[in-house]
Amino acid sequence: MLSVENVRFAHEGSEEEYHFHLTAKPGEVIALMGASGSGKSTLLDLLSGFLMPLSGQMLWEGKAFQNKPPEQRPCTILFQRDNVFGHLSANANVALGLPKGKHDPDRIEKALEQVGMAGKGEQKAQTLSGGQQQRVALARSLVREQPFLLLDEPFTGLDDDTRHRMLPLVKAMAEDHRRCVLMVTHDRQDAQMIADRLMVMDNHRLVEHSL
Amino acid sequence: MAYSTGAPFLLHLTLSRFLPSALPGLTCAALLLALVCTLLWQIAGLSGGEATLFASLGGRDWALLRFTFFQAALSTILALTVGLALAWALSHQRRFFGRSLLVALFSSALVMPTLVVVLGLITVLGRRGWLASGSETLFGVGLPFSIYGLGGILLAHAYLNGSFCVQTLLGRLEAIPAERRKLVRSLGLSAWQRFRLIEWPAVRGSIAPLATTIFLLCFTSFAIVLLLGGSPRYNTLEVAIFEAVKLDFDLARALDLALLQLLVCAVLVTLSSRFRVVDTVVATNPWRFAWPDSRAARALQWSLITFGAAVFVTPLLAIVVDGIGADFTRLVQERSFQQALITSLLLASLSALLATGVALLLAAARRDLVLPNRLGARKGASAVASLLSFSALLYLAFPALVLSLGFFLLARQLPGGLTLWASVALLVANLLMALPFALAIFGPALEKIGARHDQLAFSLGLSGWQRWRLVEWPLLRHDVGMVLALSFCLSLGDLGVIALFGSQDFATLPWYLYQKMGSYRTDDAAGVALIMLVLTLTVYLWAARFQRGGYAQR
Repeated sequence: MLSVENVRFAHEGSEEEYHFHLTAKPGEVIALMGASGSGKSTLLDLLSGFLMPLSGQMLWEGKAFQNKPPEQRPCTILFQRDNVFGHLSANANVALGLPKGKHDPDRIEKALEQVGMAGKGEQKAQTLSGGQQQRVALARSLVREQPFLLLDEPFTGLDDDTRHRMLPLVKAMAEDHRRCVLMVTHDRQDAQMIADRLMVMDNHRLVEHSL
Repeated sequence: MAYSTGAPFLLHLTLSRFLPSALPGLTCAALLLALVCTLLWQIAGLSGGEATLFASLGGRDWALLRFTFFQAALSTILALTVGLALAWALSHQRRFFGRSLLVALFSSALVMPTLVVVLGLITVLGRRGWLASGSETLFGVGLPFSIYGLGGILLAHAYLNGSFCVQTLLGRLEAIPAERRKLVRSLGLSAWQRFRLIEWPAVRGSIAPLATTIFLLCFTSFAIVLLLGGSPRYNTLEVAIFEAVKLDFDLARALDLALLQLLVCAVLVTLSSRFRVVDTVVATNPWRFAWPDSRAARALQWSLITFGAAVFVTPLLAIVVDGIGADFTRLVQERSFQQALITSLLLASLSALLATGVALLLAAARRDLVLPNRLGARKGASAVASLLSFSALLYLAFPALVLSLGFFLLARQLPGGLTLWASVALLVANLLMALPFALAIFGPALEKIGARHDQLAFSLGLSGWQRWRLVEWPLLRHDVGMVLALSFCLSLGDLGVIALFGSQDFATLPWYLYQKMGSYRTDDAAGVALIMLVLTLTVYLWAARFQRGGYAQR
């Protein structure tokens, strides 16, 4: 279970304070919505260790992780862009998620197959389409086996068709691998398609809404 | 550079629409090329034709050429290594007291008077320098190495050019998207893996153009080799030309050496023209890490920054400490000093205005020839744009000593006297010296402004002076200040052309300082060096402070 307990945060030099409080179960997909600049990505940055909270606790299975560096946190994050290294092959991009010395070609191939990229492992990432690149990034998060996945609008900018093929992949990943998913989105339809719950940033606070 | 302006919407507009903005720049480029051809003609004409071409050159001159190549190659490798290491360390350590000043000081190396830097290095590392004195006091022995010779030349080149690299490479590293940095951190990649995956690809594109520029600067290096070479064994072509004219009065040898130098530089510039001019990249949204690097990586970063800062600042500090002790009251009353100061300030101001004006015209013409919405889509436009860019790089192919030799020969045939032609030669040399850097600043800026604002400006009917006042000037004024400062400082510290024309009647501050150093008037030399250092740093740092704001607006 992921717990964010009374986490407070303010950007340097700003008096505006954000307040976050939520819990999420394994296998659950939570959609995060709100106006631009409302603090959705800030929450993801706090969870992934790129920002430090002023106070509060962040726990996974009862263990606080807010004092751990990004690479030691139990999460994987996907951004809107720059999720792959164009000059590396799809295989090499996925392998980056594996712990040192645990390079397993079968595991990489299987992960690529799961995201519908079978047979494209040798291709340079820069030759792939935007949707395919995001699939490679998703495959990497599969091999990382971290219990929760943070999605910072990774499907924005993709065409409807591709987006609608990517979203079920995320849902399947959450259900099959018991991952907890926090997905920032501006599209209510996307949220309705795969999310179990909807949280909205309102006045710098997280508020539960109906889907 | 790719522009997201869509289809060339202005193709239906006639050529005449863009001629008013392109023509002055094209005329300037043609004039520069014509001037250089005339000077070249002077040199080639007096060399006696093909039959005696290179006839005066012997085995020692080919050794000279080999050494010039060798020291330039080593200096380039050293400067790039120093620059990359420092830029890497600074890109990871973004918050510490004095960081902005340190980065600004590194970037000022580009305009730092070479003579002043050399004097500073001698004060610290010379036979009776700070380090030698300290070593003798503490251990009873002097330094095991000498500042004179290849080591000194390499050190001075790495000092000036390595620092110059820092700003360019740091800009590239800081412009790496925040998502990239977050991704590699969240994947737990090591510092080396991060360097290989995101940092090296970010700087890789700048390495070739930087290396070419630095190689050419070191290949044609004059003041450093003249002062630190120590013996004819460590001479370069540039110094050999100077000695042939000034010391041996062997004009035939000077001409052959100049032609050889010209030939090699022209080949190098042609080969390097495939590399884009290095333009400055400034991160508009610099990322600050909540989590620092590993202890080992941080230790390495701090060691590099501390060592780099110490090596860079100590010679400047030496100039300040020694300079303060100079008898300024007597110095400023000396007529020769007053004359040198006035000449330098006057020439530097005129050169700055001239270089800024010409660079703006060249950049405007280049913009018209490059942007697909203007003349860029027309046949032959890119070839003309390349020729225009080449006219701004002439200084690299046509070094100061060769240029002044051409003027020196021209002055003997034309009325007006040597002083007049010396002033003209200095102005032209300073203009050519500043142009590569000025065009690297104005070129990308004007192209970016055009790509972004052309559609709106044309739809509103903004053109000519009105457009310049409302669109270009507000977005470019910081850069204009920077180019003015840069050209002023480059001109103020140059010992190239004046080395041939300098005399009792006609002197600039660098020439005056060189004379004082040569006559062992160390107190006076230290005082003049301090004045030059303060002048250069004040002007350059003042302009650099205001330039950063200009990037964010474009």
